Amino acid sequence: MSAEDTETVVETSEEVGIDSAAGEPATESVVAVETGGESEEGPTLADEGDVAADYLEGLLDIIDIDGDIDISVANGRPAVAVIEVDKGDLEHLVGPDGSVLTALQDLTRLAVSRETGHRSRLMLDIAGHRATRRAELQRVAQQAIAEAKETGAPVRMSAMTPFERKVVHDEVAAAGLTSESEGTEPQRYVVITPA
Amino acid sequence: MLADALDHLVRGIVDNPDDVTVDERSHRRGLTLKVRVNPADMGRVIGKAGRTATALRTVIGALAGKKGGVRVDFVDTAEH
Repeated sequence: MSAEDTETVVETSEEVGIDSAAGEPATESVVAVETGGESEEGPTLADEGDVAADYLEGLLDIIDIDGDIDISVANGRPAVAVIEVDKGDLEHLVGPDGSVLTALQDLTRLAVSRETGHRSRLMLDIAGHRATRRAELQRVAQQAIAEAKETGAPVRMSAMTPFERKVVHDEVAAAGLTSESEGTEPQRYVVITPA
Repeated sequence: MLADALDHLVRGIVDNPDDVTVDERSHRRGLTLKVRVNPADMGRVIGKAGRTATALRTVIGALAGKKGGVRVDFVDTAEH
């Protein structure tokens, strides 16, 4: 038996994972509890990506839109990206503020978990929407981090989606500061605390 | 096309895909898509707090585009 049972534990909700990573360095052991999915020999991340790709390809076929599907793994999660072949073709599948993208991600996760029997944390991107948004957010987060360092006071960001907050938490942790989410959805926001 | 898309999206998330049917009816004010699923799958299709039903409606609404006016109803195969 390997002593490393932390290895098998799927990371908890995004924010808990970040907070603990940024917080006390001592608590390496039992961080992840929430999922409780008992994923002994769970499906591989690549399997999840394949199921997701089939589901999305089927949809693209029906609506007669070309899109390339790229499967990868990012931060321990399967990531599936639908890439535009003809510019503007997939815009309506992103929707205002990514609302349609989020809906499709929900459905894709359900399709995956139906096949694998495990909850899926797959990330879907369409037409580079998340990638673009991530770059923007990283810039905004860097400004806020600089402000927190300069003033020594907490900086409160505007309300964001879980995905967006995760990007900010990651940036903050990388800069060696701490951050927490406050408020309730959909008005939940990140507060950055200097060191 | 919308009915086919909805049929595909629903089939992918239920335990009894063969029981899924989507019935399309157009009327002056738009289109109604009636999704029938096995009673055992009703919970899956509706989702926690209606989240899955909302997701399906969001995607179908987006596919319908500006024409809009698509209504999606969910019933189980035991109902008529």
